[in-house]
Amino acid sequence: MNPAAPANEGRWPDPIAQALWRLGVEREDFAQLTGALGASAKETIFAQGTLKLHHYRPLTDELYRVPVLVVTSLVNQPTILDLAPGQSIVENLLRKGFDVYLIEWGRPRAEHQDLALEDYVLDRIPACIARVREDCGEPDVSIIGYCIGGLLATMYAALHSDGPLKNLVCMAVPVNSDGLESLKTWMGSHFDEESVIDLYGNVPADLVQNALRMLRPFGRLAGAMNLLNNLDNPEFLQSNLRLGKWEADNIAFPAAAFRQMVNDFLRGNKLIRGTWTIGGRRVDASSVRVPFVHLLAEDDHITPSASSRDLVRLIGSVDKREIIIKGGHVGLVAGRGAEKRMWPALEAWLAERSV
Amino acid sequence: MSERNLNYPSFFGMWREWIVRSEQQWSESMSKLLKDEATAGVLSRQLDEARMMQKMFAEMMQSYLATVNLPSRLDLQWLDERMGRVEDGLGAVQAQLVQLRDAVVKARRATPDDAGVIRLPRTRRAPTERPR
Repeated sequence: MNPAAPANEGRWPDPIAQALWRLGVEREDFAQLTGALGASAKETIFAQGTLKLHHYRPLTDELYRVPVLVVTSLVNQPTILDLAPGQSIVENLLRKGFDVYLIEWGRPRAEHQDLALEDYVLDRIPACIARVREDCGEPDVSIIGYCIGGLLATMYAALHSDGPLKNLVCMAVPVNSDGLESLKTWMGSHFDEESVIDLYGNVPADLVQNALRMLRPFGRLAGAMNLLNNLDNPEFLQSNLRLGKWEADNIAFPAAAFRQMVNDFLRGNKLIRGTWTIGGRRVDASSVRVPFVHLLAEDDHITPSASSRDLVRLIGSVDKREIIIKGGHVGLVAGRGAEKRMWPALEAWLAERSV
Repeated sequence: MSERNLNYPSFFGMWREWIVRSEQQWSESMSKLLKDEATAGVLSRQLDEARMMQKMFAEMMQSYLATVNLPSRLDLQWLDERMGRVEDGLGAVQAQLVQLRDAVVKARRATPDDAGVIRLPRTRRAPTERPR
């Protein structure tokens, strides 16, 4: 039975409240329906410019010895990894006994146009790792990197092979730009990245988001139809609206980092060729010797298999593995299937290497 | 079918289902077209033109909005920048407070419990190592 219809109490009728009531959802508006994203309890233990390093409150009485540092993408909000209770890879790690830290890169402003990959890989990630070690008192740290965050983490690992890294987990990390056919064509010789940078400074989030949407031009239409087809399923509705809320809130690409991604990664494919230099040092993925796993999504249209499957081959570790999981780029970490497929695979791999 | 199910078999329901099932194929065909060098070149030129037009229009609107005493997009961007600085400042203060708290605990001026510091044993074993 539906609960009583929402009372108007002399106010104008609220069509959203009425619609939600008809769907059997006892909420007043969509904001309430999705709740706040990224709401797991945490405290900021380090800040540098727009960067914030968060430490999550543990949810178990006993922790694995090795802490986990999550390195997120530069252009998406990290809330994708902590959407809501039950739809959060961070919460799942906490429930399984991991001590979780997360880097939130923040929104670059005009004054951050010169932030380059060097700043992330050689300065900010090492600073965060130092702070994590100081905070937890452990000498080594595992890193989980998602999408571009995974690329940064891989570069860090390659350039700090004698560093405190214990394990490296990558999720949907693109390394071979030949596998990103569309992006490579669009940002090929026709594309003038300097005119975009001159005009905007940092590359607006909308521009990056629209390019990603064009990778699956009818994806949004199908998503809307799928939503309509599942209107009688409040869980689906909530999950979908949360993802929509996250997707609508993106971050601009710092100009200098964008320039490097277009020239060195997309056009030059320098990681695969072994010619990418960061701060004058060559990024050689074969110098990564720590236990490594790459979690890939079978139907990832943003980081298709052709762009990501080479990573495991490039890495020099003896203990290395690739796990392909059903789902898409976002579904890999936050979809309704992630809980059944990806999270258990991640826990099983990481737990025995975190003692 | 539940009372709340709005998707009773209907023409529109079937039409939506068909769109969902066909989407991948349509997207693939469209992507193939967009991947073409010539198409990409045309699109790139059009985007450049659109960006320049947008810039000119934004500059024009800015003076108009100033005349009618309304904030422009640029004003909102400045506000966003200032709020960003405030947010970063708050983050820095928060981080410093945590460091100060930890230093107080380390100097034994407060117990971890009083200071709200959680220190848990880091002795957890992997599920495969735990006694059954």
